[in-house]
Amino acid sequence: MDFRLFCTLALNGIAMGVVYAMLAMGLILLIRAVGVMNFAQGDLLMFGAYVTSSLILDFELPLYLMIPVSFICFVVIGLVFMFTIYWPLRKASYPAATIIATMGASIILKELATLIWGALPRSLPPIITDANGKPGILYIGGIPLQWQYVLTIIVGAILIFLIHMLFEKLYVGKMMQAACQDSYAANLMGVPAIATISATYIIVVCLASVGGFMIAPIYMVRNTLGTLQLRAFAGVVIGGFGNIKGAIIGSLIVGLVEVFSTVFLSGYKDVTVFMLIILFLLIRPQGLFGGKIADKA
Amino acid sequence: MIKIHNLHSYYGAIEALKGIGLWVRSGKITCLIGSNGAGKTTLLKSISGAVDCKGSIKYNDSTELIGRSSQKIARLNITHVPEGRHIFPGLTVKENLEVGTINWHGFFGRMPYQKEMEEVFELFPRLKERENQLGWSLSGGEQQMLAIGRALMSRPRVLMLDEPSMGLAPVIVSELFEKITEINRQGTTILLVEQNARLAMKVSDYTYVIDHGRIVLEGESLEVRKDPRVIKSYLGKFAKSHR
Ligand SMILES: Nc1ncnc2c1ncn2[C@@H]1O[C@H](COP(=O)(O)OP(=O)(O)O)[C@@H](O)[C@H]1O
Ligand SMILES: [Mg+2]
Repeated sequence: MDFRLFCTLALNGIAMGVVYAMLAMGLILLIRAVGVMNFAQGDLLMFGAYVTSSLILDFELPLYLMIPVSFICFVVIGLVFMFTIYWPLRKASYPAATIIATMGASIILKELATLIWGALPRSLPPIITDANGKPGILYIGGIPLQWQYVLTIIVGAILIFLIHMLFEKLYVGKMMQAACQDSYAANLMGVPAIATISATYIIVVCLASVGGFMIAPIYMVRNTLGTLQLRAFAGVVIGGFGNIKGAIIGSLIVGLVEVFSTVFLSGYKDVTVFMLIILFLLIRPQGLFGGKIADKA
Repeated sequence: MIKIHNLHSYYGAIEALKGIGLWVRSGKITCLIGSNGAGKTTLLKSISGAVDCKGSIKYNDSTELIGRSSQKIARLNITHVPEGRHIFPGLTVKENLEVGTINWHGFFGRMPYQKEMEEVFELFPRLKERENQLGWSLSGGEQQMLAIGRALMSRPRVLMLDEPSMGLAPVIVSELFEKITEINRQGTTILLVEQNARLAMKVSDYTYVIDHGRIVLEGESLEVRKDPRVIKSYLGKFAKSHR
């Protein structure tokens, strides 16, 4: 494999890994906050991709208007999601109810997207294009790198970093962490449960939707984008359930393995991801960083 | 301070408290003793709004607590230290204490809480030594100190402690109970729930005995300690809850 191809593949792999990491981080935030695996995570990404592309293609908003408007949309989606899928079921005597509701949400989001935007995939131009409207290319030392992948990495990394800082450094973030780690005690201390849980859902929707927006020019906007959830789930398993740093590294591994495997086993992308999950469950079921969590629990 | 009248509390269809009357006296230590499953924890949960109940719980003779959320009750500076400590395992000691300020601090507020924290560290110097350690890494006694310290950060007027001695070595328990009386001396009203009846009656002013969701006996702790029924069931050699 020549060096240029290697660099291109590595860039694609890392970019996809960052998107999976955004999904995986959201998955873990929800598992910690409300104790539920969200099976609609990938479809939130898909829906976010449709919303943002619609703002650009149908409403023809420039980027500086599209960003705040889409943020408002994500807040609304997050709140609607939380108040329909989670809130009415939070005291259900059957804990699987919330999980099943997220599966239902997955179907609803797909059907809703088809209803609003039709069944045909839509193509969204990359953020940076050259003079001919082709995807913009960044040359570093003569190696061509697609701008869209580079931007995906930058935007994703910034978002993940900011959310990490919010949780680790700010007073609000500590209240949210407390509510995640022990909701009973947090509730007794007076941490407002609705506010912290709503905020968590909004963050999760933002993470997924921005991921959807960034990869829309690469994958096209289609209602099957939800299947990317499998990759994020693999990242979570590899990283060790519940550990955000582990999930980020796990997702990057999934992205890289997936991209490089297409070179050797074209057409078997899903198989490699499944193999990776099975391999980890066999050899290291606690994940890469699992040991530390077992101590923490 | 808190007057409870004809309180019934429910877990779904199960009635755990069946008409409780109890008065938490201002400035005093009131204790509630009873064996496992008698309803002690449920009573505290009823006051802090964590369980469905009927009847009346009056705070300062005017404010009805039933029907209020836990969050609103916490804002009245009624603070519940739950059974089993429930500290936040992934937060440091200092961060755990910070969470304690949420009831008066507000969600985005940036008010100083250095004074409160210094007072907690003064009472529990051990926590100061461990201020940057994660919650899960503390010993049982330290976790209980942290749970109480976190409650003190909330500027409690009424402090409710649920079995603070649970699972701790006797030396640590007596150290802890000294601190509890110290907190009370500084003006905080305390409602203490214990299975360790001997200790609870020693430090408290007034005692209630609960059994199967009903108050079966009450009185000055000095008197209740001498009651033959109490000696037989809770203090004697063959008492079911004696440890
Ligand atoms: N979450 C719950 N669901 C159903 N029943 C409960 C629950 N918690 C406690 N109970 C019942 O309520 C009664 C009182 O329990 P509790 O207040 O925890 O007792 P104590 O604290 O005195 O040991 C017990 O019979 C117990 O089985
Ligand atoms: Mg109890």
